[in-house]
Amino acid sequence: MEQKASFISNFKRPYTRTFLFLGTVVLLSLAFQHFFERKIILNSLSSSSYKINRIITSQDQYEIPIFGASRAQGAFIPDSLGPAFFNYGIDGIRDNVILFFLEQECKKQKKTPYTLLTFELEGYTNAIGDPDSYILNCNNPEVKKLLGNEFKPYYNVPFVKYFGKYESYFKDYLNDRMMLTKYKDKGASIEKNVLTPEKFASLVETRKNTATQFRNDNVLETEFIHLFKNNPDRRFIIIIPPYHPSYFEQYLNYNEAVRFLTYLSTFKNIVVLNYSHLFYPDSCYMNTTHLNYKGAIRFNKVVKDTLQKIMSN
Amino acid sequence: MLFNSFAFLIFFIAVTSIYFILPFRYRWSLLLFASCFFYMFFKPEYILILAFTILIDYYAGIRIAAAGSPGMKRRFLVLSLIANIGILAIFKYYNFINSNITGLANLFGFQNHIPYLKILLPIGLSFHTFQAMSYTIEVYKGNQEPERHFGIYSLYVMFYPQLVAGPIERPQNILHQFHEKKEFDYGRVQAGLRLMLLGFFKKVVIADRLAVYVDSVYGDVAHANSISVALAIVFFAFQIYFDFSGYSDIALGSARVMGYDLMKNFDRPFISRNITEFWRRWHISLSTWFNDYLFTPLVIAKRDWGKGAVVFALLITFLISGLWHGAGWTFLIYGLLHGIAVVFEFLTKKRRLKIQKTIPGVIYNPLSQLLTFTFVAFSWIFFRAESFTKVKMIFRQLFSFHVSFNLTQLSAEKGPLNLLLSFFVIFLVYYIEKLYRSRWVTAFSMIVFFLIIILGKDGTKSFIYFQF
Repeated sequence: MEQKASFISNFKRPYTRTFLFLGTVVLLSLAFQHFFERKIILNSLSSSSYKINRIITSQDQYEIPIFGASRAQGAFIPDSLGPAFFNYGIDGIRDNVILFFLEQECKKQKKTPYTLLTFELEGYTNAIGDPDSYILNCNNPEVKKLLGNEFKPYYNVPFVKYFGKYESYFKDYLNDRMMLTKYKDKGASIEKNVLTPEKFASLVETRKNTATQFRNDNVLETEFIHLFKNNPDRRFIIIIPPYHPSYFEQYLNYNEAVRFLTYLSTFKNIVVLNYSHLFYPDSCYMNTTHLNYKGAIRFNKVVKDTLQKIMSN
Repeated sequence: MLFNSFAFLIFFIAVTSIYFILPFRYRWSLLLFASCFFYMFFKPEYILILAFTILIDYYAGIRIAAAGSPGMKRRFLVLSLIANIGILAIFKYYNFINSNITGLANLFGFQNHIPYLKILLPIGLSFHTFQAMSYTIEVYKGNQEPERHFGIYSLYVMFYPQLVAGPIERPQNILHQFHEKKEFDYGRVQAGLRLMLLGFFKKVVIADRLAVYVDSVYGDVAHANSISVALAIVFFAFQIYFDFSGYSDIALGSARVMGYDLMKNFDRPFISRNITEFWRRWHISLSTWFNDYLFTPLVIAKRDWGKGAVVFALLITFLISGLWHGAGWTFLIYGLLHGIAVVFEFLTKKRRLKIQKTIPGVIYNPLSQLLTFTFVAFSWIFFRAESFTKVKMIFRQLFSFHVSFNLTQLSAEKGPLNLLLSFFVIFLVYYIEKLYRSRWVTAFSMIVFFLIIILGKDGTKSFIYFQF
């Protein structure tokens, strides 16, 4: 009898300890995740995770969003455009994600009808950028759909879902606060450094040897047109930020792009602002497709004047 | 299947659970099936190579034991060795030898028409062929009874925890364990899991973190300055150690959970005070393999040469050890460098002992440890660089003494946070290993788990030694 009791207690003790251990791990994990999401991820205004979360959750009726990829993120300075602007530009994404942003935006009840979005002269293409950006909101069915094959089963596991990504979120947070190399402002992230003439010349040389052409993804084009048509009360301002002149040296079908932009401008709720040929000195560019801070300041002055005219009409 | 993947996590939990549920008599078949699955995850068709050597060695082992005469025994041993070395020669060294023949032929104005083989090196080939050879050699020496159960013998070669990167086991240590019934032992399971956790920490937090910097510098040596090259050399030393010892810990840990004891592969190599000691602490299963089956027989064969026999055996052993790692001249030089160092230590042993007595231990020991580490780290330049051209570039950049403080250059364009974390994890491991050895079992497990998730690098980077 005594032997039996000791067997049971021996059996129980390690397993109780294991369950206690696992319970503590789960609790600590959840607490850490909560703290990290609130204090780090959602406190980094220019991070892509924050922007995806913001477009889903924000109900600011006066906000004028700017959607686009890195060319939007690095070209528009919200504070210099006005107090209502927020830059949702995300590096590495393309038009399927911009469409997602637009769809989210159009679901909202807004007091201001304006939405700014950039257009790339390569046409509508698909790319989701860094999958890490979507983990915070991966339970949202539309975000999950956007992730497609990039969705990993462990994204369902709290705390573990950020395995290997904590550093990059923390880096975003630090960059937002320290602004060592980039200027940050309400979602905008703009390179402050100016490249040496030699380094820039080598980028120009590479660009001159890169053929570029306009080619729309048909499905995306249809979806965009559908969205524009279905939201007549909204005003979409499509902007093409400046490129470096070298960009056009190997551009094969610029006329096609212009034709499509002209078609878009026939919509009553669309204004197309094509600044692709607004050339600045080399010192205003980060590379042949992106402006730097110096270039962005000059560009925003131009955009602000134009936007004021459009919005006052 | 990589240990540092989620697929392995599921595989390990499934196999271990079924292992303890199954009756003892079926367990070997489960482990064999699991090992085949584990290996076939990489490239399924290469299982045939393993099957071929397993068949030959199984047959050779039985025939060696049954042979009536020493000549007959030797014949079957030679058959086994030819089969194993032949496989290695074809898959690992054929193209290397052929490219050298081409180079030599071109030098003399001839053309080499021998075709190159378009094959990938099977994962862990050098490990399992060496383990297979140690079986037939031990049976030949009479130290091991031949294994008559074909399934158990196959498991000896294929046991998944150590199949692709060792430890290179001896039959005396592991074969009998497959015949013993292993009960579920909470203490062993816990100890095994803790060791696995330490291994994952070493791999995912340290080795993969340091790899970011090292890969960045080695990938663009021209833009690195002397400090960043020096840092990359030091970081690679830590990277390779934590990568390989991390693998070994996971292997030992996962085997321990099921009740099997594999041999220790590392014993704090960076505290070695000379290269001879280093090789007693580094990749122990390979060092002892070479010692038992190559160095000692060579010394015995050339014993008439006196000290010359040892020098000869050392140089041959280290040259072959270099080649074992990879089919390339850089690996050969790596082996030669270590060979020369060990020969130097052998010839100057008495003189060095005299010097040691005149210098206080507090100065002599750290100084010799630093010298040993520096030599090893430098020799690993030949290990890491893909070609002599890269080796030359690294030395040129290192000794250009270009030491300007450029943060972008210094952080190898990976950002200061990565560089800072690289230093941090190296210091962190000292405390983690201390905690591992302490009685704070729960604290260790909890802290390491959190560190793996928070500081770990994802991307399932392969283990360095998988390529061998």
